[in-house]
Amino acid sequence: MTAAVEARGVEKRYGSLVGVADLSFEARAGEILGVLGPNGAGKTTAIRVLTTILEPTRGTFAVAGQPHTRPAAIRRRIGVLPESAGYPERQTGEEYLRYHARLYGRSRAGARLLTAALLEEVGLAQRGRSLISTYSRGMRQRLGIARALVNEPRVVFLDEPTLGLDPAGQRQMLGTVRRLARERGATVLLSTHLLAEVEETCSRVLILNRGRVAAQGTVSEVASRAAAPRRGRLRVAAEDADAAILALAAADGVEAACADGQPGLVRFKLARQDSMNAAVAAVVSAGIPLLSSELEGARLSDVFLAMTEAP
Amino acid sequence: MGVVVVQELRDLWLGGRGLLLSIAFSLLLSVTAYLVATNQALNFLEHRETVNLVLQVAIAVGALLALLAAADSISGERERGTLESLLLTPVSRLRITLGKLLGALSLWVVAFLIALPYIWFLGRGVGLVRDALATGIVVGTLLAVFLASLGVLISVFAPSNRVSLSLSLLVLLALFVPTQLPSSAQQGWAGDLLLRANPITAGEHYAGKIVTDGHAWSRDLSWLLSPLVCSVAFAAAALLAGARFVRLGGGVSG
Repeated sequence: MTAAVEARGVEKRYGSLVGVADLSFEARAGEILGVLGPNGAGKTTAIRVLTTILEPTRGTFAVAGQPHTRPAAIRRRIGVLPESAGYPERQTGEEYLRYHARLYGRSRAGARLLTAALLEEVGLAQRGRSLISTYSRGMRQRLGIARALVNEPRVVFLDEPTLGLDPAGQRQMLGTVRRLARERGATVLLSTHLLAEVEETCSRVLILNRGRVAAQGTVSEVASRAAAPRRGRLRVAAEDADAAILALAAADGVEAACADGQPGLVRFKLARQDSMNAAVAAVVSAGIPLLSSELEGARLSDVFLAMTEAP
Repeated sequence: MGVVVVQELRDLWLGGRGLLLSIAFSLLLSVTAYLVATNQALNFLEHRETVNLVLQVAIAVGALLALLAAADSISGERERGTLESLLLTPVSRLRITLGKLLGALSLWVVAFLIALPYIWFLGRGVGLVRDALATGIVVGTLLAVFLASLGVLISVFAPSNRVSLSLSLLVLLALFVPTQLPSSAQQGWAGDLLLRANPITAGEHYAGKIVTDGHAWSRDLSWLLSPLVCSVAFAAAALLAGARFVRLGGGVSG
């Protein structure tokens, strides 16, 4: 598979301060790569380097097949929604998009047609002629996404597109991101703090911490490599709880099963991540009806905290 | 570059800022023209001096407006958070800077157009209109290019828009200081050098020689040297700095 973004040992320093160091990763064509990390991890710096806004201090990278030594060629092939992007308050959404379409070389008529299509795509067709100053935060973010698409980019960088949005707005924005990758076939690098949504949206993740790559791969790959503690939880009928504890105690790879305070809830430690299957099998084969099961410590949020929290 | 210029003009003129500044400029010019035409004390001015006074006010304020717009050009975009989107386009930073410089200069063009009827009205009786307007175009354009370029240059490096505007106005005031010196301080080789080296005083001196003293164009051309050199040098410096140093954070590092 072709790499749409390929970084090798990229470093950005501000004097003695390290923005990102030894950043190496690949994003494949058409995938949504989640870029995660706590505040100050270097996500925005990494995106600004890859989008040619900042020059790397060291290292090489290529975006959409263009080497970093050809920044204008990269800019022609990418779309970017910067973190905390500003918008000209006295322009309408239509004027703003038309201007950017013209900056990418569209004719007046072409820019007008494209603007109408993009406003429709991001759900702003009814407000295209309103001043941007009257737009809500969510509408501005959607306008920013439309602006990022004026050049039909092969790679789209979205830096915290859900920042400041309410839960409904966040869900809508992530829906737009998924549609973007699915319908346009664009590679999306999505920087966000919404870990649960990243699990649903992103095919792979890149976790940054203190300017360095802490982990990368699919969510399950990253989770399996993480040193997050593993625990399991089962819910059975209250009268079956003791039997379930006995069954779990006999199962391979299960340690310290006990009641969890609530009727029917049983908690246990796992020696390995794949021991969860054995635990569930032990309860089921003991003839105990299983109401629910949950593996703790394997969610992206658990992995994220394990990898990024200060020791 | 054309797209950037057109957008700058739209923002400046359709956004209302340019119109507001032009209205303020025309009010100032109206008051000045009214006073020099009717006020008893000012009426003692010789007719040519009256035209020269209005012309100099038009040049100075018109160039000031261009400076103000230019000082807001890059640092203003940076502060409003709109610069990053602009830098992400394939348009070169040189073209962005040139577009902003030309947009700022449109304020001078409009200011001069506003001044036309005033100069025509005051100068028509003494056959001064053609000379005054031609002098205004040459001197005013040179000074406007110089000051707008200075504004862009400061705006590229200023860490904030407030610093850019304050510094630009401070430099402008410093350039106008020699016009307030007593005439004795303007005598001698040092005074002469100071007046000639400063593009503002040199330009206004040249305009005064033509309009007030009725000198021929070619006689005092050496006074145009400083405005010419400064406008070319500062325009080149602003464009080079724009091409090389326009970035998200102000200053030269990073």
